[in-house]
Amino acid sequence: MAESVDAIEHRIDALRAEIRRAVATRDTSRTRALRAELRAAERDWEQAVADLADLADLSAPTGEAPVGAEPGPAGSLLPVREQVHHALTLLSVPAAPRLIAEVHAAFFGPSAPSLAANRLTHLRRDEKRSFETAPYARPYHLCAALTAAHLAPARGLIAVSTWPLERRIVGPLSPRVDFLTAAVRVARRAGTMPDGSAPVSKLLWRFATNIPGATGAPGTLDRHDTVDPQTVIRAAEAEQAVHAETDRAQRKAAADRARRQLDDVQQLFGSTLRTLQRKTA
Amino acid sequence: MTSISMGTGRSTADRLAAIRGGVQPKRHNARTIAALTRNPGCARRAVLDTAGVDKQRLAAYIDFPARFGQSGFAIARGNAFEAQVKASGAAELVRLLRERLGLPIPEVAYDDLETVTGREKESPEVRYARSRALLLRAAAGEEDAGTLFDHPLLALEVAGQRVYLEPDLIAFQHEGRFHVVEIKSFAVVDGQADPAKVSAAAIQAAVYVLAMRQMLAEAGHDPEIVAHDVILVCPRDFSNSPTAVLVDVRRQLAVLRRQLGRMTRVDTMLAALPPNLSFDLAPDADGVPTRAPEALVEALRTVEARYAPDCLSVCELAYFCRAEARGCTAALGTSAREELGGIERVETALGLAKGELSPAEEQEEAAALLRNAARLRAEVLGTAG
Ligand code: SF4
Repeated sequence: MAESVDAIEHRIDALRAEIRRAVATRDTSRTRALRAELRAAERDWEQAVADLADLADLSAPTGEAPVGAEPGPAGSLLPVREQVHHALTLLSVPAAPRLIAEVHAAFFGPSAPSLAANRLTHLRRDEKRSFETAPYARPYHLCAALTAAHLAPARGLIAVSTWPLERRIVGPLSPRVDFLTAAVRVARRAGTMPDGSAPVSKLLWRFATNIPGATGAPGTLDRHDTVDPQTVIRAAEAEQAVHAETDRAQRKAAADRARRQLDDVQQLFGSTLRTLQRKTA
Repeated sequence: MTSISMGTGRSTADRLAAIRGGVQPKRHNARTIAALTRNPGCARRAVLDTAGVDKQRLAAYIDFPARFGQSGFAIARGNAFEAQVKASGAAELVRLLRERLGLPIPEVAYDDLETVTGREKESPEVRYARSRALLLRAAAGEEDAGTLFDHPLLALEVAGQRVYLEPDLIAFQHEGRFHVVEIKSFAVVDGQADPAKVSAAAIQAAVYVLAMRQMLAEAGHDPEIVAHDVILVCPRDFSNSPTAVLVDVRRQLAVLRRQLGRMTRVDTMLAALPPNLSFDLAPDADGVPTRAPEALVEALRTVEARYAPDCLSVCELAYFCRAEARGCTAALGTSAREELGGIERVETALGLAKGELSPAEEQEEAAALLRNAARLRAEVLGTAG
């Protein structure tokens, strides 16, 4: 791996001190060179922190080598958009890049390095461009979830164009309902896997700790290998029943509105207030 | 505020604009507002902050750059932790709020107010209007009014200027209370956190409580439905798992109210300053400020400062003021300053201690203290050495 975050922080501190000295001696050309170096170091730092965040969640907590250490044939050969599609299909709800990367790593093994969460964000823009130049040319597009309030693209969520519009709408209750749906889907899939996959049980445990009654007996909260998929499914479905009806009604109303007001591109990638006003004016 | 100062017929606002030079006032945020409550006695900062002078640029130009450099890292780390806590409709936060506030199972509605229309650059007015509408609906107890408001935008008048503030999250319970949630990435170990960091977070959260209460009061709601207990979410024991504690910010609220009130009385302070005072950094064609650094230093010296070591963590001018205050007893810290009341300079204090100077009437008490201390010191050194 590249330079550690701590090392880069030291380098940055040293550069800052250098710059102060250069400024004090009014050495402008040196100051400019140092500033450029500082900017580069800060970029390195950001990258290192992002990589760290990705690695921390993908590695096995028991100290085994992370799954990614053993390059499998399925992983890196698939294009990024297909990997994202796989993970989203498993989850069946709009999800943030981070979760997509985790799910992919847990169930489909190593992913291309480019699936790192921070690099997924620009994907949606590329997909939009592709759809605009050749609509429906691909079997699916990775697109946006839409906010129920303004039919604008929901921040940080990726969805699949072949899903019904209702599933891509995000009302106030939808984040929770989708979280519970994802938990059920992950638990079902985990139940069909051979035991002992640390990334899978860790992923399931993270869902379970945030759903009442999903971790089974209290006191087992810190043991991620004890989570039972069936318990998670029961608990998630029980909570889901509380929110489901209102959520469905809100999503349906917004989806109907979207079909009336938005063109094809906007239905997939979201509208902005300005275009919405023009259309309704 | 339209009071006339200096008999020149200029309003306070014009005067402040002249002090700032021909630029937009530097915007405050919760952190800078919180900083106003530290070292409240400093006229220099009061004038600069009220006028909205860019102190960071000013300090850099006169060659005493502020060194708040680490904050960039802290911010990035903080953002990563915040993103984790808020992932999937704030799933982790919902659990914590269920534990701490007894948030009932149905209350999970989540409104993302960081963007409203999905446009990349969005005016604060749009975000504020949307936040206000949603929060007031909740206050009015409307059905389905929402529970979690992610990055709502609040507003507060600071020295006649509207400042937009962005709390990490505001949680609402249908039992009728709002709670400000502040997410910080410093660790809570065995239930303990760095007190300095907790108190900084508390005062920042108090700024949000104040803004929120004013908004409710203006709309005719009871401001007290915003709890004075704020929820501080931090990583537990250096792990990534978050924990939540309630922090009472009543004291911080009182301090804030007093300080913000004081800033509106700035015209008294202005009356004592040279009429042509200005910290204009207007650049020439090459981007270099047209005024010489010396002129700005000169201007700074006409406004009285009150340097204390605390300044280093709260004010961009700290390195300048520290250099200026070298040799002053005040630079030794608040307690030394109080003990040595009436004695401004360190040399004077030393002179009095050694009995080389005879104290003026108001210095008698401090001088006796100093001579005593000097005697003790001599004795100790004498027997020890
Ligand atoms: S650093 Fe200077 S201007 Fe700032 S508060 Fe301290 S004394 Fe006042």
